[in-house]
Amino acid sequence: MQSITINAPATNVLDIQNLSVSRSGKVIIRDINLSIKKGEFVGLVGPNGSGKTTLILATLGILKAQSGSVSIYGQRPMTSGLNGKIGWVSQAAANLPKEIRLTVRELVRLGTLNSRNLFWRNRSGKESIDKAIKMVGLEDVQHTDIARLSGGQRQRAVIARALASNADFILLDEPLVGIDRDSRNSLLRLLDLLCHNEGKTIFMISHDLTAIRQTAHRMIYLEESIRFDGPSEDFPDLDKLADLRGIEPVHNQDGTHHDHSKEEE
Amino acid sequence: MGIGMIIFDIVAPMLEFISPLLPGEFFPYYFNGKIEMLQRSLIALIMVTIVAGFLGVFLLIQNLALIGDGLAHVSFGGVAVGIVLGATSPLDYALVFSIMAAIIIHELQSREILTGDASIAIFLTGMLALGLVILRVSGGGITSDIHSYLFGNLLLVDENSLDRITFYCLISFGVLIVIFRPLLACTVDPLAARVQGLPVRAIGLLFSIITAMMVVSMVKLVGALLVTALLVTPAATAQLIGRSFRSCLILTQIFGLTAVFGGLYLSAELNAGGGSMIALFAATMFAIVAIVQQIINFTIRSKDNIG
Repeated sequence: MQSITINAPATNVLDIQNLSVSRSGKVIIRDINLSIKKGEFVGLVGPNGSGKTTLILATLGILKAQSGSVSIYGQRPMTSGLNGKIGWVSQAAANLPKEIRLTVRELVRLGTLNSRNLFWRNRSGKESIDKAIKMVGLEDVQHTDIARLSGGQRQRAVIARALASNADFILLDEPLVGIDRDSRNSLLRLLDLLCHNEGKTIFMISHDLTAIRQTAHRMIYLEESIRFDGPSEDFPDLDKLADLRGIEPVHNQDGTHHDHSKEEE
Repeated sequence: MGIGMIIFDIVAPMLEFISPLLPGEFFPYYFNGKIEMLQRSLIALIMVTIVAGFLGVFLLIQNLALIGDGLAHVSFGGVAVGIVLGATSPLDYALVFSIMAAIIIHELQSREILTGDASIAIFLTGMLALGLVILRVSGGGITSDIHSYLFGNLLLVDENSLDRITFYCLISFGVLIVIFRPLLACTVDPLAARVQGLPVRAIGLLFSIITAMMVVSMVKLVGALLVTALLVTPAATAQLIGRSFRSCLILTQIFGLTAVFGGLYLSAELNAGGGSMIALFAATMFAIVAIVQQIINFTIRSKDNIG
């Protein structure tokens, strides 16, 4: 595995060049250029239908790109060299099938599988599972059916599954949806810890601008193409955001920006 | 000697051993070896129930609960084609048709072209109609032979059928054991499984093939109309009270085998059809478990409210 990092541009976890993706004839994202360095916490925001999920799916290699290239740790997505290096927390992950009874531990164990370790238990598996469960703080409920957990706990369990492969690069699609404010804050603290203490690189989609701006180092605003990419401190306020989008800001009489925040959801 | 008869020679003495302990006047005949055919049916039924239970747990999660019904009717179409073409073993046609249908249903669902139940509905009606049309055009009506494919006949398990059913069960069971963990990962979250580098398509394909094989085996025993009873009802009962995936698997086996023994007992003593009695028994167990669970939940909740 060492040789892989040597071949790659030394510190970049993700390199995207001139990426364009269309779905059923319609361009969803165009000319995306993006690199993410090891240890960064990047927030990806944008209105509904702006191509956030498309960008992530194309990054992972699940969607085919019309043009451009994606490389993760210097390799094309979905190649065997990336086995277990990427953790993916999908939007659907929190809505696991209803007819399943699965404990937290059983779910996390699924994360240890990859194409080299497909059929049989590997020895280091138990340690990675324990470690992942501990990292997300679910030791007490590890033998509980996921259906009985709260939304925040369930999201943690899915993050633990992504961590169980010892992945260094974690992509999350809207992990804050459907959980209350307290769980949201503690989830963000968890991601922050993973980034700082465990050296994980995090790339996260969120519609919750305020929350993600507090935690991420770097923000990307996407609407078909990247309209903003820079440190979170420099991320424009909501009224300036309208300039990025090329639309007139809509102010309420009292100067609040209710309409904009609504658009972000 | 075929694989089925090898299993038979191993299991039959065990059945004979427990037969004196069993209740009823006619029920023990399934065990005591006085009528070998009944022993063969019982052994086939036990094997099929065990494998079907494991499949059912996964099918339920994938929202494909009715695939057993669908494929059973597809296999009826296959049988009809086989009979008209003068095949010596029409079930071979049933197997080919079912496997193809299972693969197509799986592909339609995983490509999000159609939901599982819509594609099952199309295959079920389309192939059933094909079977009926072919039989009518070729001049045969619904003969007793075809009747037994629709409703099954526990008593028609000859040595050949036992060999075939055993073969399908062993292959399916073997494949399930090998792909068990990745199959669970793909079922729970296919996208995440792909990112992890699991061969999601290949696993789905294998699972479709063994599902079709098991359905064809079950058609012979309980008939096209009652396949779902063995495939889904025990798993659905288990997930009502299971607390983990592992406990669900174990409970499914307990419910499935209880339905088989209970259903056979009642059918033997009341002289009712075996397949339908098993299905009825399984459904009744589901109802009882569901009701008891609701009552328990209700009492706990009202206690909480008072406390």
